[in-house]
Amino acid sequence: MTLTRFVSKNAFRNKRRTALTIVSIAFSLLLLTVMMTIWRAFYLTEGSAESAQRLITRNKVSLVFWLPSYYRGKIRAMPGVKQVVNESWFGGQYKDQKPENMFAQFGTDPQEFFDVYKDLSIPPDQLAAWQKDRAGCVVDAELAKKHSWKLGDRLFIKGVIFPFDLELTIRGIFTSNQPTESIYFNSAYIDEGFPQIKGRAGFFGVLADSPENVPKVAKEIDETFKNVERPTKTESEHAFQLGWIAMMGNVKAFILSICLAVVFAILLVSANTMAMSIRERTREVALLKTLGFTRGKVLVLFVGEAVALALAGGLIGALTASALIRAAANAPGLNFFLSGVRVTGLTMLVALLVAATVGLVSAFLPAYHASRQNIVEGLRHIG
Amino acid sequence: MSTATVPRTATQTKVVQARNVSKVFKRDAFEVKALDDVSIEIGAGEFLALMGPSGSGKTTLLNMIAAIDRPTSGELLVLGDNIFRFSDGQSARWRNEHIGYVFQTFNLIPVLTAFENVELPLLLTKLSAQQRRDHVMTALKLVGLEDRVNHLPKQLSGGQEQRVAIARAIVSDPTLLLADEPTGDLDSHSATEVLDILKRLNEDSHKTVVMVTHDPHAASYAHVTRHLEKGMLLPPA
Ligand SMILES: Nc1ncnc2c1ncn2[C@@H]1O[C@H](COP(=O)(O)OP(=O)(O)O)[C@@H](O)[C@H]1O
Ligand SMILES: [Mg+2]
Repeated sequence: MTLTRFVSKNAFRNKRRTALTIVSIAFSLLLLTVMMTIWRAFYLTEGSAESAQRLITRNKVSLVFWLPSYYRGKIRAMPGVKQVVNESWFGGQYKDQKPENMFAQFGTDPQEFFDVYKDLSIPPDQLAAWQKDRAGCVVDAELAKKHSWKLGDRLFIKGVIFPFDLELTIRGIFTSNQPTESIYFNSAYIDEGFPQIKGRAGFFGVLADSPENVPKVAKEIDETFKNVERPTKTESEHAFQLGWIAMMGNVKAFILSICLAVVFAILLVSANTMAMSIRERTREVALLKTLGFTRGKVLVLFVGEAVALALAGGLIGALTASALIRAAANAPGLNFFLSGVRVTGLTMLVALLVAATVGLVSAFLPAYHASRQNIVEGLRHIG
Repeated sequence: MSTATVPRTATQTKVVQARNVSKVFKRDAFEVKALDDVSIEIGAGEFLALMGPSGSGKTTLLNMIAAIDRPTSGELLVLGDNIFRFSDGQSARWRNEHIGYVFQTFNLIPVLTAFENVELPLLLTKLSAQQRRDHVMTALKLVGLEDRVNHLPKQLSGGQEQRVAIARAIVSDPTLLLADEPTGDLDSHSATEVLDILKRLNEDSHKTVVMVTHDPHAASYAHVTRHLEKGMLLPPA
């Protein structure tokens, strides 16, 4: 036997109580993990400030129709607009038509692109290199990993819609919270390769100065380009999420208060269990001290026991949450909202840390008390 | 018996030297004088029985010797150490090394097997798992329970439980064995077994034994019997 084994034997002394404690901690941490995951998904990932501030202006009739490039300047001049960038879908083919080789290629303006898409990050030197090379491109880090691309590699994209091909050099690799499955190159390449469509853009990415101004800016753009040859349709990048984002303040407080309540509840559950189980062992504590256990050892034994129980509950809760969210993300009806939402390793780690802290805090007072207990009194204790 | 077989310390060293030890328990307005000016010397290798009516201070004296309680006044040296100068940690380690304590109610940990109960004090030492195992088995053999190692306390009889408790008390090979009414909860047959073991530990392993008892038959196993009355130690008979 070791002291660790002694702790675990103690933890499972009253099997039913231990099981109930673990289950209640597991339930609480399940809830906490789900809440943290939702928070992450809606607030840290898709709900990032830039995403909520971004609009897409496209041809009102269909995405396949073009818009005049000069709209960009006009949009930029509107109140509430911070940045505008043109984007054109090239629709070319990499290697072959196999699904694993499919990704989107967009022509855009390297000078302004990353200002609008601030949630994509790229090292400054790579951005500068891209801005200098008219035949350069930047690629999503996930794509680069998938295809083992490195900086300086050359990509050959065969034109499908357009009667010319792209020969690009990878100048930058950008990362994003969510896979974009895209590469971006200088739209001047299209203008030069196919001068007939010079002066036109596929759509515009618009960055408003605040999430609140997004609806106003959308309205303003579409009002301005209403009675023209090519009218526009402007919508938020995550239009369906707008409701969420508008409410985000409240949702945030709501999630936070649930998390706090959950943590507080397990703290009480765990504290109660530990206090009870330590009190029952008053005599044993005195015995241990008679055998030569110091105060510190007694404290560690009990705190260790509580932390072990809480961690067991936490692990069960976090793993169950992970499985549940995985299942929900694949379930018809829910997958629309939850696609790509996962319980990350970091979230798990946070959940386990919370559990361990709860165990520690809940056991500390009764354990400290027990460790200071007078041996003589303890040995005389009946019960 | 040739002098060579008697440990050098047996005739010379005093294991316990108590001088004018008093202990007063204060409970709200009440004061209980549990020990009243007790002076006693216990030599190495001695087997001392401490008798006296309930409440006469026997347990209190034993607790003093084990450094789990402090006198209100007086001097007490145990194994030459002024144990009341010790910090909590020091006295815990000192007990672990030098004192074996046997209780009337056994005080085994119910979720641990006989083996694990005996091993408990060794978890505080630097011994390896194999060394611990050897010590535990030696102790269990000494009390005749080597075939009960994996039994839980509830699967043992009272007499067997007390023998496990004795094994636990001697596993770290302490100098001083303190037993507080070790046969108080046992039938006469089990009591005899336990007393025989204590006697053997005293004679063969040269443990100094201090045993509290109500029972004159039990006291007859000891070399010396002393009586406490209302906290006062009566002069030797
Ligand atoms: N921790 C304590 N608090 C208060 N009184 C105590 C305490 N321990 C012992 N006493 C009192 O001291 C006296 C001696 O107790 P004790 O040494 O246990 O007697 P014995 O072991 O001889 O029966 C008794 O009157 C008892 O009530
Ligand atoms: Mg007593």
